[in-house]
Amino acid sequence: MFETVRYEGKRRLRGAAVLTAGVGAYAGFIIWYFTVLEGVDYEDVFSNLPPAMLEAFGIESLSTIEGFLGAQVFNFVWLLGLGLYFAYVGGGVVARDVETERMDLLLSLPVTRSRLLVEKFAALLVPIVAVNALGGPIIYLFVVAVGETIPPDHLFLTHLLSVPFLLVCAGIGLVFSVAVDRAAIAERGAVGTAFVLYLVESVVGGAEGYDWIQYLSPTQYYEPTPTLIDGSFEPIDSAILLLAFGGLLMISQALFERRDV
Amino acid sequence: MSDETDSPLVVEELTKDYGSVVANDAVSFTVNRGEVFGFLGPNGAGKSTTIRMLLGLLKPTSGSAKVLGADVRDEAALTEAKRRIGYLPAHLGFEEEVTGETMLDYHGAMKGEGRRDELLEVFTPPVERPIREYSTGNKRMLGLVQAFMHDPDLVIMDEPTAGLDPLKQEAFNEFVRDERDRGTTVFFSSHVLSEVRRVCDRVGILRAGSLVELENVDALLHRSGKHVRVHASGAAVAEITALDGVIRPERFAEGVQFIYAGDVNALLRELATHEIQDVELGEPPIEDVFTHYYGSREDAAEGDRSGEATDPTDSAGGTDV
Repeated sequence: MFETVRYEGKRRLRGAAVLTAGVGAYAGFIIWYFTVLEGVDYEDVFSNLPPAMLEAFGIESLSTIEGFLGAQVFNFVWLLGLGLYFAYVGGGVVARDVETERMDLLLSLPVTRSRLLVEKFAALLVPIVAVNALGGPIIYLFVVAVGETIPPDHLFLTHLLSVPFLLVCAGIGLVFSVAVDRAAIAERGAVGTAFVLYLVESVVGGAEGYDWIQYLSPTQYYEPTPTLIDGSFEPIDSAILLLAFGGLLMISQALFERRDV
Repeated sequence: MSDETDSPLVVEELTKDYGSVVANDAVSFTVNRGEVFGFLGPNGAGKSTTIRMLLGLLKPTSGSAKVLGADVRDEAALTEAKRRIGYLPAHLGFEEEVTGETMLDYHGAMKGEGRRDELLEVFTPPVERPIREYSTGNKRMLGLVQAFMHDPDLVIMDEPTAGLDPLKQEAFNEFVRDERDRGTTVFFSSHVLSEVRRVCDRVGILRAGSLVELENVDALLHRSGKHVRVHASGAAVAEITALDGVIRPERFAEGVQFIYAGDVNALLRELATHEIQDVELGEPPIEDVFTHYYGSREDAAEGDRSGEATDPTDSAGGTDV
């Protein structure tokens, strides 16, 4: 039981550490930068930008550390960077093993395809959890270190709510991963899809008549900045993300069951 | 499993049709408990396709197969049966970054590893090193260890000795014989006749996607003839190739090469009467054996040898004498 998730999870430890360190370093830089910019009237600076761009980068109340972090770290790193990253990694989960023919060996072991798939995917929880469970405290410590304050419960919620979002992104990758034979194609397809969905949400959001399209994007259901600022969030959003993730996982299972490897 | 008395492998009309090409066309055979079965065929004949269907990696288009009593279409039953199956794929897609030890730990945790240490004394891959540093032979040995370490009842191997040096190959042959004596059923594919000759109890021959003949190894070897290459003058070559049992002679600058299916002593006597610069006698490439014995029947289906006319002396099936 769980041999695969243990094995694959261990293999993800190093990547998770590098990812967390990178994200932590970037957050540290942004927090330091916030102290440098203090006194500049950014809202003035940004008020000239088109609303679509403000929307795209989730720019609101940049003069507070919460708003600044929301825009510069969470909207940029979590929604875009990590979203694309986990779509990419998800794309490699099965396709890479099929391409290297490692899947032949794995499926010769006494394990069903669906179990193997779930366990391999579950190993992605290592980086997803690491970047949040360690990234959160790192950000908090940096904020305290520069003499600012941020409500820890808001920060915690922001990280927690990102997990369903990242699962959906990885799930998009997984569908590509079982649908095609070559890792590079699965990874590019997944990243491309996640990126298009991100753009669609930010660009089409304002277009009348087509604004329904934005509801297709997972980014629609995770809004870190308001959560950081006042702890507000819509439980239904997370429910939708979890449901979507369940759907993606089921599609992947069905495709993987039927395919030749 | 309830079918303890049944044959470990029963394949009936197994077909894999990719649309553009039929990789397996109604392949049928049975492997008996405790025998070594050689699954012979030239490269591209569809051996791997059959093997991968037996393991549930590919879905058959039609037909059926039972592995240790489990239907290959029944995933739950086949998964359970895999506890007692060892598999060595033709291409060993190990994860390159991990050490052999880590890989064996993982596979061992999944299916058992009771004989791991014992096997690592026979086959000696450097398990403490990352697999990316392995030679082809070392990878093959690591693959053999993982295929046998849970003491399976049935072992399926796809081209098991590819990449092994002759000494390790001999060790492998002896190992397979010992395994059979312990009651393990071994099914392996090969395109090398000498490989199956030394270890197999029975041989099935896959050609152009279907099993065309099944006979005991001695009969097959008896009929396969010798590959002969003679360096001699033109006049001598003409007389030598006039011998009964010379098939598909091909002239080259210094002499001739052909398959000889007659009595070796007759050939040697004939050679002794000529001035010969050099002579080589050896096992024919397996494709030549097939082309000679099955070519005339299968040309239409195969097509890959259509450029070569089958020698009319093909009636030299008289080799059986």
